[in-house]
Amino acid sequence: MTDFFTKLIELFNTPEYMDSLLRGFLLTIEISFFAILVGFALGTIIALIETAKPSKWLIIPKWLCHIYTTIIRGTPMALQLFIMFFIIFAIRDFPELITAVLAFGFNSAAYTSEIIRGGILSVDKGQKEAGLALGLKNSTIFRKIIAPQAIKNIIPALGNEIVTVIKETAIVSMVGMYDLNMAAKDIGSGHNLASYIVPMFTAALFYLATIYLITFLVRRLEKRLRKSDNQEYAI
Amino acid sequence: MTDSSEVLRIHNLKKSFDKNKVLKGIDFTLFQGEKVVVLGPSGSGKSTFLRSINRLEEPTAGEIYFRDELLTDKNIVKARQKIGMVFQHFNLINNLTVLENLTLAPVTLKILTEPEAIKKAHELLRHIGLSHKEHAYPSSLSGGEKQRIAIIRAMMMNPEILLFDEPTSALDPEAIGDVLSLIHELADRSMTIIIVTHEINFAKEIATRVIFIDSGKIIEEGPPSTFFTNPSTDRVKEFLRKVL
Repeated sequence: MTDFFTKLIELFNTPEYMDSLLRGFLLTIEISFFAILVGFALGTIIALIETAKPSKWLIIPKWLCHIYTTIIRGTPMALQLFIMFFIIFAIRDFPELITAVLAFGFNSAAYTSEIIRGGILSVDKGQKEAGLALGLKNSTIFRKIIAPQAIKNIIPALGNEIVTVIKETAIVSMVGMYDLNMAAKDIGSGHNLASYIVPMFTAALFYLATIYLITFLVRRLEKRLRKSDNQEYAI
Repeated sequence: MTDSSEVLRIHNLKKSFDKNKVLKGIDFTLFQGEKVVVLGPSGSGKSTFLRSINRLEEPTAGEIYFRDELLTDKNIVKARQKIGMVFQHFNLINNLTVLENLTLAPVTLKILTEPEAIKKAHELLRHIGLSHKEHAYPSSLSGGEKQRIAIIRAMMMNPEILLFDEPTSALDPEAIGDVLSLIHELADRSMTIIIVTHEINFAKEIATRVIFIDSGKIIEEGPPSTFFTNPSTDRVKEFLRKVL
């Protein structure tokens, strides 16, 4: 046990180790951040197509969205990552970061689209009918009535998705990228520290702190939105 | 030639949900200033009839003319601005305050400027005694308050017809009185109204014409004086015996 703490102190006091961990952490955050943005943008488009009223123009797009979400959700993330790295973007000097962002972004889009779709469908039918009966256009109804209520409904699930993406990015170490997970393994396998548990424990703390912070922020946002729901006067 | 005061003409309106035929050919004409009460048992198609008028339900067949203009997918959005509707479950917009609920449509559709809309909303709110609720969200209102606000929300658009779809069915007795007296007042002010309701006594008070729908067809129609005292069909006699 004392050995564990001695090595933990050593890890925190060795700039070389801390640099590696921070470098890895930064990459984890970079991939996650951009992947979440890609996932949200693409997921929103898919959700809008899927919830749109059926028409002949949308038959093919709706079918494509369905195939897309089915394939993405039905295959392992690690396999999708390999396909992106070794088949689709197997181009010399193509930036690894972009490949990883797209791999995780495309994956997240399939889940985010389901979350957003659920959020849109959870808005009571009467809300749309009220807008229609007043003579408002569908686009206005969506912007002023459906979207604000849907967003409130999806925040908890969206927070969950963000957390999932951050944790899932750990598999980029499988294609040799130097993320937080890889940094922990790298430090642990070095001769000087001769301990896997200490860097992995530290990496776990980094992940945990990040996710805790995000969960906290999401909860606060959720609470604030719910407050305006039940309070008599707007804040 | 059509009567100049004809507001709505419905010809052979049919509506099916999959194989379920809810409306089986309705012919109906509405004149300016009429107050038509639609009666009938549950599931008879009363609400579907009302909701087909402003195309919240897409009719399967038939034509609806509003002021001599055939309503289609293209012109319905514009026509709805003149055909107000009040729902059983109020349908106030949850994410907007009372004032925003009232001003959203007239301002967005450029029927009123924002200051005009706010002024009108204030007047109507004062009239129904709910001025103090202008910044409240719907979730903090009682059912009766919600429905009265829903009614003045429809009035904000200066509609030519008001459709009421069982406006008091989801309310407690005290709130029912408040809502009915507001509808009564609109009726007295020569508003053209079609109302689906189960409030028979209220129907007797305001109706200029009663129509009885059963199994998707108008079975009987006439002025309340004859409808309630001397109905011609056995079906209506049986209905009235049970509800009166």
